[in-house]
Amino acid sequence: MSQLSIPFERHRLDNGLKVVLAPDRTVPVVATNLWYGVGSRNEVEGMTGFAHLFEHMMFQGSAHVPKNRHFELIERVGGTLNATTWFDRTNYFETVPSNDLELTLWLESDRMGWMLPAMTQEKLDNQRDVVKNEKLQRYDNQPYGDWSERVQKLIYPEGHPYRHTVIGSMEDIDAATLDDVGSFFETFYVPDNAVLTLAGDIDPAAALEQVKRYFGDIEPGGPIPTLPGNPDVESLIGQTVRDHVVADVPLPRVIMAFRSPSYGAEDFAVAEVSQALLGMGRASRLYRRLVRERQVAKGVVTYVYPLLTGASMFLVWATGYPGGDPEELERAMIEEIDALAEAQQSEIDRAIALTETDLVRALERTAERADLLSMFDLYFDDPGRLNRELDRLRAVTLDQIKDFAGTRLVADNRAIVTYQPETSR
Amino acid sequence: MSPLDRSSPPASGVPRDFAFPAVERRTAAHDLDLRIGCMNRLPMVSVNLFMRAGEAALGSAAAGLGVLTADTLEGGTKKRSGSALAESLERIGARVGASGGWEGTSIGLSCLADRLPEAMAILAEMVFEPDFPEAEVARAREQQLAQIRQRRMDPGALATDSARVRYFADGVPYRRAVDGSEESIAAVTREAMLGYVDANYRPEGGGMIIVGDVEPDEVVEMIGDHFGDWSGAPASRPDFVVEPATRDRRLVVVDRPGSVQSEVRIGHVGAARSTRDYYPLSIANMVLGGMFTSRLNLNLREDHGYTYGIRSRFTFRSEAGPFQIGTSVGNDVTAPAVREIIKELQLMADDGPRDEEVAAARDYAAGIFGLQLESAGQIATRITQLVVFGLPDDHFDRYRDTVRGVTTEQSAAAAARHMRPDEVQVIVAGDAEIITPELESLGLAPVEVVVAES
Repeated sequence: MSQLSIPFERHRLDNGLKVVLAPDRTVPVVATNLWYGVGSRNEVEGMTGFAHLFEHMMFQGSAHVPKNRHFELIERVGGTLNATTWFDRTNYFETVPSNDLELTLWLESDRMGWMLPAMTQEKLDNQRDVVKNEKLQRYDNQPYGDWSERVQKLIYPEGHPYRHTVIGSMEDIDAATLDDVGSFFETFYVPDNAVLTLAGDIDPAAALEQVKRYFGDIEPGGPIPTLPGNPDVESLIGQTVRDHVVADVPLPRVIMAFRSPSYGAEDFAVAEVSQALLGMGRASRLYRRLVRERQVAKGVVTYVYPLLTGASMFLVWATGYPGGDPEELERAMIEEIDALAEAQQSEIDRAIALTETDLVRALERTAERADLLSMFDLYFDDPGRLNRELDRLRAVTLDQIKDFAGTRLVADNRAIVTYQPETSR
Repeated sequence: MSPLDRSSPPASGVPRDFAFPAVERRTAAHDLDLRIGCMNRLPMVSVNLFMRAGEAALGSAAAGLGVLTADTLEGGTKKRSGSALAESLERIGARVGASGGWEGTSIGLSCLADRLPEAMAILAEMVFEPDFPEAEVARAREQQLAQIRQRRMDPGALATDSARVRYFADGVPYRRAVDGSEESIAAVTREAMLGYVDANYRPEGGGMIIVGDVEPDEVVEMIGDHFGDWSGAPASRPDFVVEPATRDRRLVVVDRPGSVQSEVRIGHVGAARSTRDYYPLSIANMVLGGMFTSRLNLNLREDHGYTYGIRSRFTFRSEAGPFQIGTSVGNDVTAPAVREIIKELQLMADDGPRDEEVAAARDYAAGIFGLQLESAGQIATRITQLVVFGLPDDHFDRYRDTVRGVTTEQSAAAAARHMRPDEVQVIVAGDAEIITPELESLGLAPVEVVVAES
């Protein structure tokens, strides 16, 4: 059993930008990682998918950076970069040889401070097309590609910020204007709504000076608007809710979702460990019983979304065999989830051991360290939570898991999306 | 500090020198190539056991046997059932995965360093005493058959699988799916797996690569204990010459009625890893479609908005693997996207990359190489490549200098030799009714429409 001790220090600039510095000089690599406190949950009605479209626009240049230049400069030094949009946040990151740290600060500060002068209708139209193709490729043209949209509609009530997907609707994307880009930028892309983490081969004192130099003169923003809609939800759905889909899919699949504690809640750790008992690794309950022994499922996946607002999603999904009966699969899943009431301490130990290996492996990557530190600072004002992650999970008891299974993973809190192949009818 | 001038990017600082971690070659078993890399940044270790038991050595009737055998190793040993085996490994936080491929079979292990002795004993048990219980073999077979079905209905996989048979001549292993066909998988038995392991899970031509927070002497002793008596070479060996299916340009529409997008694959037979053009060709490909700022991506994504992204790639294997450009595009822009891809390919083959493009690609390749040496797993993967392709021990020490030495002329010559727009096979999986007329009007080649089998 090891104790994590990733060293870091925290600072805050006068304009409110939070800064985390995590030096590790072993390899000459630095990860620059910026989390903004804005995601699809902040989208008002009629603007679904806008946070993600905006993320694309952030790569279209800024006052001193022409279009495509961001990519060219980072690739030129052998760096990697990307960005992702999620329900609660949007992150931007570069990993570069450490002698090019300043380049990343120049690029990130230019678009945080001076993005709007570079925006044009042509760029917006171009990225609208790119995003539409992204939706076609990753969702619409994929078997089961609409599962998340269906699950979210079952788990979250009308008006909840998680009721719509991150990719959003194409009608809303079509309706987006340059003015929308401007006001979104001015509202959310402000230093006091962001965390900047630098991890890897840095001298913290020198790095902090550079951060101040590049980001210090960016004006802070106004207050962040309260979330649209109503984030409050009951802890249980109240009944079993269903969506049965007959579609052009190769194999039957049952996706079961439960409303679960939000990421910030005390018992989120219980959800995480319960999930691991059910589906993490090949000695997990669902793999052993459904895949290996009963052979009703070709594969199983379990996952708990780390979501902040009101309630999260606890997912269990199983894919059946050709000609398999989704109802039988569903019954088998429910039996095994119910059987979690008989869990043993040794299963918790196994789950913790695997989680430890996975976490230490992730921390081998500078970019991954930076991303986790940013997340913990943005979400919980506490990057040090990274070093306590395993303790948090180790504290979960068998009684808590049984209680969780008995109160949360129950019929009254179950959403089921079933995919049945057209041809098997 | 001088006032900040934001108008141009800051200059790079002085790069810190960074060497590929030192690798010790040691002897613990006569026929086993043992390589150990020490990294003590975190208390982790990654192990790759590579055996030259590959699909390229199998005939088409046995296609997929190597892959399925590797998949079924987790089914149990003579001492433990599949569940007990998983429990023994996961209890100590060990992640083990076996996978078969064209070149060979790899078993990967990662765990906290203090768990390595226990994990290594179990790894040896999986290699030397696999049991392949009937129920597990049947399950692996059914899973693979379901997987094949899934691939046929996945538009991207359908396009890739349809393209492969258009690139390679009949009889070339690379023409088939690496994990077998419905016929060959249905025929796999427990006896076939036991026989395959006995004949082909042998040390010669392979290697054991161990990287992480370890003491080499301890590792040598540990490997000697478990693998000391291991000997011999795999019985099956590759025996084929790569030939293209055709040298005529063709355009095939794989019909998926109702498809909302077209999956495009354009390519032909590429080059082997041993080609003398490896570096200049890699650079030319980066300029064409191997980076975000490649010609193809800037044209199709950033100028035209036809796609979310486009890449080109040479898959270098012991023999020539495919060269392929892949993307997915909207129905209404399918034909113009194909036209632009062919145009860019033609330009690259005819004129090669420009000086500044070669310089950018060289810097990218040399820079990103260093970024990918952070984790024990990454290092172990690199060292495994040395074993797989028989590359010299100092290959990675020289890598950056070699890349930086590539010239524009070399890249242009490599592009001219290995990119052949007149011979490409254009495969488009999409709604034929919508996309065929405009594809025909491109006049690239006669358009053949085939039905996606289901």
